[in-house]
Amino acid sequence: MHPHSCTHACSRAAPAPLARAPLAVALCAFALSAALIGCDAEEPPVEPPPSEPIAESCTGEIEPGPSPLRRLTRIEYDNTVFQLLGDNSRPGRAFPPDEEAGGFDNQAAALSVSPVLAENYQSAAESLAATYAARQVERLDGCAAPVDRETCAASARAFVQTFGLRAFRRPLSAAEVTLHTGLFAQGVALGEGDYDPQAGLSLIIEAMLQSPHFLYRVEFGRNPDAAPGEVVELSSYEMASRMSYLFWNTMPDQVLLDAAAADSLRGAEQIGEQARRLAVAPRAREAVRNFHRQWLGFDEIEHIASAGKSPAVYPDYDEHLLPLLQEEAEAFVEHVIFDGEGTMQALFTAPYSMMNAELAGFYGVSGPAGEAFEPVELDSARYAGFMTQAGLLAHHAKPDGSSPIHRGLFVRERLLCQIPPPPPDVVPEAPLVDDTLTTRQQYAQHKEDPLCAGCHVLIDEIGFGFEQFDGLGRFRETQNGQAIDATGSFHSTVDIDGPFEGVVDMAHRMADSTQVRDCVVKQWFRFGHGRAETEADACTLDTLSLDFEASGRDIKSLLVALTQTDAFRYRRVVAPGGE
Amino acid sequence: MILRKPISRRALLRGLGGAAVALPFLDAMRPRLARAQGAQPPKRFIVWYTPNGTVPANFWPTGGERDWQLSPILQPLERHKADINIVGGVDLISSLSGPGDAHQKGTGQCLTAWPLQEGTFPGDAGLSAGWADGISIDQKVAENIAGDTRFRSLEFGVHVDGSDVKSRIIYKGPGRPIPPENDPAAMYRRVFGDVGADDDAGKQRLETRRQLVLDSVLGQYRSLHQKLGREDRLKLDAHMASIGTLQERLGKDTVRFEGECQPLNIGGALDPMRSSSIPMIGRLQMDLIAMAFACDLTRVASLQWTRSTSEVVFNWLGDDIREGHHPLAHKGDEDRVKVAQNTRINQWYAAEFAYLIDALKAIPEGDGTVFDNTVILWTNEQAKGNNHDRMDMPYVLAGSAGGHFETGRYVTRDGRVPHNHLMVSLLHAFDIDEDVFGDPQFGSGPLTGL
Repeated sequence: MHPHSCTHACSRAAPAPLARAPLAVALCAFALSAALIGCDAEEPPVEPPPSEPIAESCTGEIEPGPSPLRRLTRIEYDNTVFQLLGDNSRPGRAFPPDEEAGGFDNQAAALSVSPVLAENYQSAAESLAATYAARQVERLDGCAAPVDRETCAASARAFVQTFGLRAFRRPLSAAEVTLHTGLFAQGVALGEGDYDPQAGLSLIIEAMLQSPHFLYRVEFGRNPDAAPGEVVELSSYEMASRMSYLFWNTMPDQVLLDAAAADSLRGAEQIGEQARRLAVAPRAREAVRNFHRQWLGFDEIEHIASAGKSPAVYPDYDEHLLPLLQEEAEAFVEHVIFDGEGTMQALFTAPYSMMNAELAGFYGVSGPAGEAFEPVELDSARYAGFMTQAGLLAHHAKPDGSSPIHRGLFVRERLLCQIPPPPPDVVPEAPLVDDTLTTRQQYAQHKEDPLCAGCHVLIDEIGFGFEQFDGLGRFRETQNGQAIDATGSFHSTVDIDGPFEGVVDMAHRMADSTQVRDCVVKQWFRFGHGRAETEADACTLDTLSLDFEASGRDIKSLLVALTQTDAFRYRRVVAPGGE
Repeated sequence: MILRKPISRRALLRGLGGAAVALPFLDAMRPRLARAQGAQPPKRFIVWYTPNGTVPANFWPTGGERDWQLSPILQPLERHKADINIVGGVDLISSLSGPGDAHQKGTGQCLTAWPLQEGTFPGDAGLSAGWADGISIDQKVAENIAGDTRFRSLEFGVHVDGSDVKSRIIYKGPGRPIPPENDPAAMYRRVFGDVGADDDAGKQRLETRRQLVLDSVLGQYRSLHQKLGREDRLKLDAHMASIGTLQERLGKDTVRFEGECQPLNIGGALDPMRSSSIPMIGRLQMDLIAMAFACDLTRVASLQWTRSTSEVVFNWLGDDIREGHHPLAHKGDEDRVKVAQNTRINQWYAAEFAYLIDALKAIPEGDGTVFDNTVILWTNEQAKGNNHDRMDMPYVLAGSAGGHFETGRYVTRDGRVPHNHLMVSLLHAFDIDEDVFGDPQFGSGPLTGL
């Protein structure tokens, strides 16, 4: 490392990414830019969790924060058309990927509808409508042969109301009923013969599936006459949608719709009661998987296949393992939350995982005989929860080795909720690295540079804790014939600073940490509300943390608690065209 | 995945994965390019993006404006030397402003020349950066030259993973990224297989249905729009504009195969997210661009190779390459082995660039070829990969855009020259009479000396 180039870089300090920066650059540059903001001092370098006591952040005023218009994600679209139409073809998989921010695909601010997506909405609507209309037309009075036009038109009108209520997740206005019955009347002339009810029906469905009231979760609150700036409660139908998309990533079921029709989704108690039902339903499992898939990057495990692993270094690498590794991670989370301890601590520290025969063979442990995934007890001195699963560790690794930088960054960003300051706009060049040393020894070169050392400890001192797991994510005791040193340390955390001995020790510290707890809360908040937290959400977040703690850090309880917050139950009225 | 030889554009259509694709209106063909041949042939624009900077020492030519020698990286362009311009001394000045890290800013700004919006993409000691804050040059050109082509523009990708600001270069407007299509088969279906109906009466009915639905839906968007706050309105603005492009398409011709417009054998299914597929996918995407031009289905295309900070391992160039592109691009200048590998990566991109030129030169048009009426902009989001430098960007302009640019030159200049000027030059190449592109704080007027 050239001190000169470092100094130069510092003088032009400005943001740049660390997340995927290569080893040496990231090390040094991180040190540099962090040094600029006092990295060597006692101050934590990055956004500290809220430190105000609850009493101070909650003023007694209801503060919901922003409530942006939320578009269905691809997953939500597929789930919704499954429930609405019984269609399991998952057309959303062919859509362009949802724009992603902060690790989640459902963040309102990032989502956009490009011409290609509008085109996809159109073709999906056409094909879904064609299938569904063909089935439904037989059931409509007067629409099946022999056709009675008057009766059929009345049936179509009833269809608009009943189907529309489920598609828009609320009753249609009179104008909307008129609009869609009008489409039916025009549509019947555009099929076979001069009166084709199926074509008319199809037109209704095509239009509804492209309507903003289907593709977005439109909310105005209970009181449409409230003045801008006022805080309003959500209507029961709006609440039904919020709840079903939170817990199930799909449209409300009949129970929720009935509750909405009875206007009985008001107040913390009624909402909480429904929330507890939703949280334990089978459909919640997939939504909870979806959250973890994104938060912990389980969906990125398959990306390992893109570059693969070096056959020379990892002859055991086989890309057919990747789906198994992802399933292990997701099945583990599901098992812990729904069938096991249910807690955040167990996610981090449980001395078991979910494996089938092939995966147990890969890990070299005894496991089930078949293809089904079952709990497998593991050596608690080596393994701890998701933290030691091979999919995650192989993903945060290089094709030919481990990567303390990537692993440390994963912990820092996703689990501690601290985005490190990036390398400056112009970074120093990476120095030569001696490939024959252990990974840790290669890093030591940079540690000697005082300019780099100040901050690189923030990331790779965490990453070192994973060194007993190689680039395939498998346990090892030696590298290049030398014993692995897996000691590491936390720096600039709220409550877990200090050394630890390997990943198991690290995981246990994290499981008990308030910073990690608050990070879990924050991630669920972002996923649940489709947005990043703002200053206005301080009370909501602090309350969530308190409730989460009181429940023994039970994840399902956290989900229920999410429905009790100001941010979930209220919205602030925005003037048309206003901020 | 076994790499196959590139397939002739003129090969018979076998369909996707062996299955036959129905072709519309083969009996109602009429000349497309021929139609234009009486008049002035249309101009066309292609954006070509490769990430992670280049190796400047091996990129820049030597010599003067007209008496210059190709560099190692540009060597594969030898046969097209008279038809390209190497443009030096242009800087991504806008990307030194606003939120975001170096890769985010370079990516969002290379074609928009606007600083990024505030947003929640992680990357700058917090959740700070948003999307780019303006239209990209290709979309601006498309708005002006699309004519009655079926697609205003087509966005092609090769192994573009992720869907955040580091993966998007094309913008329909502020905060409105357009995703690229990575899968040639999907693009083929979209562009050439939009059958819907197999006779004119059926087609007419389909178009009427679509018109009715889109009108009805658009009415709902409009009335909802009126009730929403500013942020939500922006979302619906984008959505409504996208519905608008669907409406525009109604009544326009679908593909008619004849003359130079011939079906493409797209072969069997390839996994577009497998890095070993990249060479084959890239060729197919370029063949599709050439075909879309030959059929006059669009006049603006972009081809985005991977994305900023892509970790694709270019091991098809040799087993010695074991590190991803981004880490390799960061190796210090003194690391000769790795710099040589990174040079080979960029050289390979130049060879593929030459293939695209070949493909366009193979399509006759008027007295020349489609290439004569095209200009291709090769851009990057960085200049020098190992230090994020964005001064002296490695620009290549291929083609004259119908004689607008004098080609065969190496033009360079001194001082800080915002790339906004290069974008204005491109506007002028398409007879768009505007002197500002991107954020006006970075100046107006075209690039001098081009």
